[in-house]
Amino acid sequence: MLSVNSLTKNFPLEEGSVCAVDSLSFSVDGSEVYGLLGPNGAGKTTTLRMILGLLEPDAGHASVQGRQTGLDPIGVKELLGFVSASDGVYPWLTVREMLLYFGDLYGVDPVVARDRCEELSSLMGIYDLLDRRAGGLSTGQRQRVTLVRGLIHDPPVMLLDEPTRGLDVVGVQTIFEYIGHLRDRGKAVVVCTHRLDEAERLCDRFGLLHEGSLSYEGTMMELRSATGCEHLVEMFVGLLQGGHHETT
Amino acid sequence: MKQPNQCDGEEIEGQTMKGGPGHGPKRIRRVLRVGRLYRKELRETMRDRRTVITLVLMPLLLYPILSMALNRFLLSSSGDVETGYTVCVATPSESDALLRLLSDPRSQPPSEIVESRGGEIADFRLGLSRAENAELAVEANEADVGAKITVAPNGMNVITLYAHRGDAASETARQILAERLQWFKLAEANLVLQAAVPRYRSPIDVLVQDVGTPKQSNLLATLVPLVLVLMTITGAVYPAIDLTAGERERGTLEAVMASPVSRFSVLVSKYFAVMTVAFLTAVANLFAMFTTLWASGLLALFQEEASPPIWMVLPMLALLVLFSSFFSAVLLALTSYARSFKEAQAYLIPVMLLSLGPAMVSLVPGIGLDGLMAVVPLINIVLLARDLLSGSIDLGSASIAIVSTLSYAAAALAIASKLFGGDAVMRTSSQTALSLLKRPRRRSDHPSHSSAVLLLALLVPFYFIVSNGLMQFLRNFGDVVSVEVQLGLNALGLVLTFGMLPLLATIWERCKIQTTYRLSGFNVLALLGSAFLGLGCWAIAHEAFVIADALGIGGLSETQIENAQSMIVKMQQAPVILLLLVFAVCPAVIEELCFRGYLFSAFTKQLQPWRLIVITSLLFGLFHVLTGSTLLVERFIPSTLMGLVIGWVAYRTGSVLPGMLIHLVHNGLLNLVLHYSEELSFLGEGFDDQTHLPAAWLAACLFLIFAGTLLVHFGTRLRGEDDLVSVSEQLGSNSGDPELL
Repeated sequence: MLSVNSLTKNFPLEEGSVCAVDSLSFSVDGSEVYGLLGPNGAGKTTTLRMILGLLEPDAGHASVQGRQTGLDPIGVKELLGFVSASDGVYPWLTVREMLLYFGDLYGVDPVVARDRCEELSSLMGIYDLLDRRAGGLSTGQRQRVTLVRGLIHDPPVMLLDEPTRGLDVVGVQTIFEYIGHLRDRGKAVVVCTHRLDEAERLCDRFGLLHEGSLSYEGTMMELRSATGCEHLVEMFVGLLQGGHHETT
Repeated sequence: MKQPNQCDGEEIEGQTMKGGPGHGPKRIRRVLRVGRLYRKELRETMRDRRTVITLVLMPLLLYPILSMALNRFLLSSSGDVETGYTVCVATPSESDALLRLLSDPRSQPPSEIVESRGGEIADFRLGLSRAENAELAVEANEADVGAKITVAPNGMNVITLYAHRGDAASETARQILAERLQWFKLAEANLVLQAAVPRYRSPIDVLVQDVGTPKQSNLLATLVPLVLVLMTITGAVYPAIDLTAGERERGTLEAVMASPVSRFSVLVSKYFAVMTVAFLTAVANLFAMFTTLWASGLLALFQEEASPPIWMVLPMLALLVLFSSFFSAVLLALTSYARSFKEAQAYLIPVMLLSLGPAMVSLVPGIGLDGLMAVVPLINIVLLARDLLSGSIDLGSASIAIVSTLSYAAAALAIASKLFGGDAVMRTSSQTALSLLKRPRRRSDHPSHSSAVLLLALLVPFYFIVSNGLMQFLRNFGDVVSVEVQLGLNALGLVLTFGMLPLLATIWERCKIQTTYRLSGFNVLALLGSAFLGLGCWAIAHEAFVIADALGIGGLSETQIENAQSMIVKMQQAPVILLLLVFAVCPAVIEELCFRGYLFSAFTKQLQPWRLIVITSLLFGLFHVLTGSTLLVERFIPSTLMGLVIGWVAYRTGSVLPGMLIHLVHNGLLNLVLHYSEELSFLGEGFDDQTHLPAAWLAACLFLIFAGTLLVHFGTRLRGEDDLVSVSEQLGSNSGDPELL
């Protein structure tokens, strides 16, 4: 469903350049939750931005259901739902107005968008906030609104960048349940996070990013046998200390 | 995979030329969607208290305060005729003496002077100084002027008049008082003179008379454009920043850019929201300004009649739309580049200050909306506003100012669409303003529509300057320079504008020359049909000229027509081959490459075929109207009609070449007929611009057009009726098709 092929991105510096993503390749099928994991600055967000067409890769390409981002950016964006790490909202609009605006941006019929907005808001526990001004929401409430925003057009592929940032335990649990629900509905989900314990519970497969390239990739079992470590945290510590590179 | 609940998003490459069923509703839905996006932007802006302050509170408070200050200034600077001036003296005896002098009729100015001042005589009220010192009283602002009467040793009364240095009202009062005393002295001297020399007569007598109608003051026409510039910018600044840099700062920009809607659509919705707020702010300010002036009676100072000029409302609103459209686009281009609210403010403050310079031009007498001024950004609309308000507008210059301003707005919007949401504002980027000039890394088949808009916006002033410069040169050096050189310059002007600019844009954007200029193959039948159309269309163009002339549609004066005719006579002295090269081959190649080549391919994805043909034809017609500083309005209809015919052929054939042939045959034929008009006189009347063609000629030409149309239609039908519309695209990528030459 989602395929990333040799994506590379360098950012120019005053002197030279820095390689944010280096020949990154992975794929995610339907009904699969893929954890793109790594410490801060590993290249997770840059990868998502290249998939979305917000950044032009220096090499390689991403494609969704056979459509390449570089060749058909609008078509690819229609297939993607994106929850960014930023929980920015329009402070002077109500939550409902903001969600319907994003429905419009995604070309969702206004009547359908209204129903979907209410349905998703109920699921995320923000129904009562729909007619409240978005500027007055708490961080956790904003994060839930951001998630509903990314789901408003019911996309087949979801890209979630730090979806549980700022949420309490109940909030995290709600998000996890919904991601599980998305998996059951056949969606392909990419979750970027540096909270490895959460990822371990949530994802089916993992890609461990370090300095822009994929150090390990596979299911939890495969990663355990490849690294000899039990948990993702230990794998990462080993990775940061040893710089081991292997994909399974 | 398109989701079942989704409306149609943006056009996908290759679909636009297929004008099948359902295309219209899809486009309407898209327009409606942009309308909804606009509503969201406007709603968000209007709810913000900062907008409310700019839009409502500022006009409500600013103008009453300003009018009070103005009132005070006027009172202190020009004095009050009704209450008069106050004169202060030290003692009652001085007061009595001065009062006697001032109430004596001999101290009044002669009737001629009173009449020339509108019958007003300044009134002086006398008072005693509290400090018993006239000089100190003036210094302490107790009176406008002080007077001290002393007696000289020779017995003469010496009156010293004191005024406060630098106080205009005080100095004026002293001047008038001194004059009054001088009139008294003169009248006294006259009496003595007449008694001594009874036969003495003054060598001159003065009479005062008024002529003409009272002149309206231009002060309002001078000040209002300045206010409009300031207020439109003030209104546009906050929403422009908030909807672009503010969007980035809030963290919503990334989510918007991740949605399947083009940057341009998002930006257009923001542009109209900014424009609406700028327009409303300017209207609110103008309304508050006029109401305050009217209510405070200050309007009388600006105009003879103390009532708001009602007739001005509609043109003023149109002007406000023009101002708002220009400033909103310029401000959006700047704020789209900014990464934060503060950065945007830092960009806009210098722009606001710099705008005051051109805006002040309206205050400078002697500068008019003509020549280069008509295309200088900002100055042209300020002068346009001034001329409109003073009722001395020239339609030709006004049209050029409006068209060029709208072009600049479009260019600014095109720049904004390149900057908004691009790499330059994404948080991981370190790109700079130069990223705007960054060449694309990949080669493309067609230029982008935003580049084409930018090109069109540049073409207007560039073409205006080149054609104006050429006209000036011919006017000044026409007698010195040979006809051949003049013709060469004419061709060079065309190459520099319609040839060079699109070519530079094509190279810069790394577009493929063949597909950009649609240089692909063509069909034999279509080519033959094009030749027929070229042979027949000149008659329609000629008839359109004659009809336009009969309807009085024309921008040329008798003198200009005479000049043009003498120039034509002069041009005919050149070899016919040179004439054909300059007036037939050159326009056919250069103009077709620009209009049916570059512009056609740039807007192919955005416009339905019929819209593409109509819009490029209108542009073709409009550029033929702009000739130097003259608007040749009569050229619009024939040129647009030709544009429609050539556009249709270019669309059917998918190539620019048949259109070139039509253009070449059409222009060549007209030039040959003009060159050999004497030899062709045996053919009868109808070969000048004022008379209709003979019926037989008209019928023959109509037959040629009919035959040409059929040939082009059937020649391009080989691919099947439904598929014809995509011929152009197929030709672009498949010039070796066996069915095509």
